[in-house]
Amino acid sequence: MSSTPYRLPLALPGLRRADGDGAIAGVCAGIARSLRVDATLVRLTFALLAFAGGAGVAAYAGAWLALATESGPRPSPRRRLLGYAALAVAGAIALRGFGFSDSLIWPATLCGAGILLARGRSGIPVVVGLSLVVLGVIVFVDQNASSNGRDAAFESSAVAIALLLVLGPWAWRLAAERDAERTARIRSQERAEMAARVHDSVLQTLALVQREAGDSRRVASLARRQERELRSWLYPDPRADGAGLASAMDAAAAEVEELHGVPVELVRTGDVPVDDRVDALVLAAREAMANAAQHSGADEISTFVDVGDDAIAVYVRDRGTGFDPESLPSGAHGIAESIRGRMERAGGTASISSSPEGTEVELRIRRAP
Amino acid sequence: MKPRVVLVDDHDLFRAGVRSELGSGIDIVGEAGSIAEAVPLIRELDPDVVLLDVHLPDGGGHAVIAQVAPERPGVRFLALSVSDAAEDVIDVIRAGARGYVTKTISGAELVDAIKRTAEGDAVFSPRLAGFVLDAFRSVAPPVDPELDVLTTREREVLQLIARGYRYKEIAARLHLSVKTVESHVSAVLRKLQLSNRHELTRWAAERRLI
Repeated sequence: MSSTPYRLPLALPGLRRADGDGAIAGVCAGIARSLRVDATLVRLTFALLAFAGGAGVAAYAGAWLALATESGPRPSPRRRLLGYAALAVAGAIALRGFGFSDSLIWPATLCGAGILLARGRSGIPVVVGLSLVVLGVIVFVDQNASSNGRDAAFESSAVAIALLLVLGPWAWRLAAERDAERTARIRSQERAEMAARVHDSVLQTLALVQREAGDSRRVASLARRQERELRSWLYPDPRADGAGLASAMDAAAAEVEELHGVPVELVRTGDVPVDDRVDALVLAAREAMANAAQHSGADEISTFVDVGDDAIAVYVRDRGTGFDPESLPSGAHGIAESIRGRMERAGGTASISSSPEGTEVELRIRRAP
Repeated sequence: MKPRVVLVDDHDLFRAGVRSELGSGIDIVGEAGSIAEAVPLIRELDPDVVLLDVHLPDGGGHAVIAQVAPERPGVRFLALSVSDAAEDVIDVIRAGARGYVTKTISGAELVDAIKRTAEGDAVFSPRLAGFVLDAFRSVAPPVDPELDVLTTREREVLQLIARGYRYKEIAARLHLSVKTVESHVSAVLRKLQLSNRHELTRWAAERRLI
């Protein structure tokens, strides 16, 4: 429940005459602003009421007298009293205009007085004002019940309308406050999640970094892993969470980095869904990255995944020592089987160029027809 | 001639790190930590290159370029970022930066990038090359073929940059001079800045939203 003191809802919170943007004296614009509705709606209501024996005109005059402007001082008590009187007259005229008898107008006046008394206040005036409202409703029901001129349905609907008038806006405000509370709660949940995330990952990593400060390679790989984790959380890549080539390559690069402690600079364009052939491509690329990390001595590996219109190409490049692809020891199972053999079985190609300036493995398959 | 550089980044630690890494080859004449500090400083110092963080506490780095570039056309901007969010990078390039590098770049490479920026070349990191290839991946017919389409050569150059090649290596591989490679990259930069094809923006929006 709301923690603000109970205020009579018809009090129209912060009601003032609008300074600048009013059509006549800013009454309608002010009411509209307080209710957070369109001013035209309020103006239309007043205009309609003006046809009810001039009630709208009287009400407008009353409001003009009683209300302060946004920047101006509160009107003098006498002027306000005059305004309230005009409002009461307006109410009476309106009710007469609707064909209601005096038996309705008196209770209405009581209700009106109660509302005006309680307006924007809390404590005793509210109690008194509410009492007046309730009294007005009781008198109304009582008089009409005894007069017997109208049926019971009308009476009960009159009470319902009165209650709706009093409680409706209040309930509306309450709902609005509930919404605000919900927003605040969601925000605090988000903050809690953020704190948990920072604690679980960032703080743990920082602790590890401090403990292993002597091992620069280990520190770099810790930092790198943390960076990747935070990055994927902060800037989720739409392509990285499906079962596509892009996310598979992300995972493969991350594995190599973690296993061998060498950063992989992964650049990719486009994406395709993973099928058996694409899977073979990813595995071959992973092997190429792992080889570069293990054997080249380079401190970084560049990988570029290019999904073209007809073919998919993956380039794995390092600036390491290089080797002679023709004179590999027989135990070098990796290149022959895991890269070349795998690509050929998938209907693709693998070509390797190496020099003392580094090595590049180019893997290529046609896109699925 | 040592390029005179203003360093704009809100992290003191990072600025100190860059200063010590750049060493004597670069003359850091001023530092700023926000847009509000950077704009008058750059106007006053008129440096060759501004090393500009993409994210500043009072807004994006592109705001600095927008405020300074009209009256200091000689000042060149090199964007520096940890974010890698494509739309941020494209924003700062479209505002007029001559290039983009990530903050994990090594000291020697950063010196090289600053010198090339000072000479008016475009500096593309592999990642930026990837972004640009993505952005110009054509589906809809181009509105203005001059600006909306990359030539085969430009595409080749960008693909090699994305693969981790340096300009010199690209030149050797494509049997071109380094100057020609540079002019291809500058042409791509120009297209990126001037092309109004809605593909570019739509692509950025997709990256953010979907």
